Amino acid sequence: MSAIVRVEDLHKSFGGIVVADDVNLSFEAGEIVGLIGPNGAGKTSLFNLISGVIPPDAGAIFVESHRVDQLPMHHRARIGLARTWQNTRMFHSMSVIDNLLIATRRYPGESLARILFRRRSVDAFRQEATEKAMVLLERVGLADKMHEMAIELSYGQQKRIGLARALMSDAACLLLDEPMAGVEGQAYETIIRVIREEAQAGRAVCVVEHNISFIRDISDRTVFMFNGCVLASGSVDELTRDSQLTDLYFGGEHPQ
Amino acid sequence: MEYLLTVMVLIGINVILATSFNLILGYGGLMSVAHPIFYAIGAYCSGLLAIHLQIPVPLSILIGAGIAMVLSFGVSLPSLRVSGDYLVIASIGFQLGILHVINNLEFTGAAGGLTNIPVLNEGPSRSLVFVLLIAVVAACAVMLVGWIVEGDYGRAITAMRNDEEAFSALGRNAMNIKIVLFAIGSGMAGLAGALYAHYFAYVTPEQFGIFTSAALLTMVVVGGAATTWGPLVGAVLLTTLPQAITFLGLPVSIMAPLQGVIYTTLVISFLFARPQGLTGGTRGGGGLEAWSASAAFRARRRAE
Ligand SMILES: Nc1ncnc2c1ncn2[C@@H]1O[C@H](COP(=O)(O)OP(=O)(O)OP(=O)(O)O)[C@@H](O)[C@H]1O
Ligand SMILES: [Mg+2]
Repeated sequence: MSAIVRVEDLHKSFGGIVVADDVNLSFEAGEIVGLIGPNGAGKTSLFNLISGVIPPDAGAIFVESHRVDQLPMHHRARIGLARTWQNTRMFHSMSVIDNLLIATRRYPGESLARILFRRRSVDAFRQEATEKAMVLLERVGLADKMHEMAIELSYGQQKRIGLARALMSDAACLLLDEPMAGVEGQAYETIIRVIREEAQAGRAVCVVEHNISFIRDISDRTVFMFNGCVLASGSVDELTRDSQLTDLYFGGEHPQ
Repeated sequence: MEYLLTVMVLIGINVILATSFNLILGYGGLMSVAHPIFYAIGAYCSGLLAIHLQIPVPLSILIGAGIAMVLSFGVSLPSLRVSGDYLVIASIGFQLGILHVINNLEFTGAAGGLTNIPVLNEGPSRSLVFVLLIAVVAACAVMLVGWIVEGDYGRAITAMRNDEEAFSALGRNAMNIKIVLFAIGSGMAGLAGALYAHYFAYVTPEQFGIFTSAALLTMVVVGGAATTWGPLVGAVLLTTLPQAITFLGLPVSIMAPLQGVIYTTLVISFLFARPQGLTGGTRGGGGLEAWSASAAFRARRRAE
């Protein structure tokens, strides 16, 4: 196995709040890593650091063989990162299909000159992207919502659109921030299946979730974060057996 | 008759200005208010080139527009680092800074303005010919913006405006789009300025200040931000309205502040009650959404 993403001695603080305290982690190809920890542990911040939303104070981030921590977001994404957002972040004045089309690896309409002078290749790209988007919408069970406005769907449906959108670019690494929030019933099984299929296709997947049974179901390895530190790593059962960790997770109030 | 033709020239100029401002502000969501400064740059550069270097007027107009396009980097580069309210401040700084320079340089005519600018065309039906020309240019401006914002490029612009971070995280380059929108929009404003200068033969710095920013903003908001026809409707209404008020024969001491009050009232009431403007559909407001009363949008947009 080879590391798709490697984080070395990563440090970040906002004023007094340390969100990454010498974090060392790697995500391997084909592996699903669960990332758990109480509210405010720094899970989303870690995704923000890796994807480039916020710059690190110190440390290094590698995606495949590239060092990416000084690169702009779009550059990192093109190297092989795709992520979803805790708050879905749909393009709210656009339809579901348009939300997905934006995310293709080779977006047809990024340059006006190209649209003017290379009409044919632009049309071909769009055709290809549309077909791919349809397949993905089918996989997350929302093909019938294709022409609806993304913002008008339920929260759980938006989460699934966000997942499909992140899959449009065939990135080597997927960072999923609470993909199960608001997702219910049949869709739950659907998402589990899609995530497993993507890992089987050789992608490195890191999933943040508060739903521990979901993490137990899906992850090959689970990492526990607290106050910006990676405290432990292992199977969910190993982690939940550690009463110190469960105390931290539940603030010491809930006996588990 | 001559008066009517002059009003029509002004309408044409304002259609070009409002349409190009809408490209940047309405569609791009790029909160710059410095649009009139590119109008000024086009007017002054073209005027000065024609006066001092005897460059043929049609050529100097194109060069003036080109210079405005290049100088748009003055706003587009800051926009890569700051956005929203900060960009408003940065753009005001840019606008006032350049106006200050124009106001204090001797060869631009300083505060008194640049006079004796060669006109584009002469003859008995000069105004009529110019009205036809400006109508064609304004129509081209509306069509050009319409073409840019539809299809694949338009989809990218909308996504960038909706959520720049989510857009970048999908591997899209927001920097390119911002630079292109500012360059094209500012180039169009420069063209409008150059046409103005070579029709009226006279420009003064005070035409390009914050008051003009407010007027253009009003046209875009009232007509409908991020719509094709909105700026046109807004430009026609807000160019004729002040002309109509002059017929009331109010003294200047009342007229000037009255116009300001009308603009402010219009902008605020539209942002509250009808953010999509006169021509917009059920949803909208484009780049002005964030300023509008539809707070629901804002709540939904909040990043974690
Ligand atoms: N841009 C920022 N500026 C200042 N503080 C921030 C910023 N981003 C995150 N924080 C703070 O850092 C801490 C970690 O936040 P983060 O969102 O990473 O937690 P999390 O583990 O994802 O929690 P949750 O499970 O609630 O999503 C919080 O206290 C948060 O308020
Ligand atoms: Mg979080």
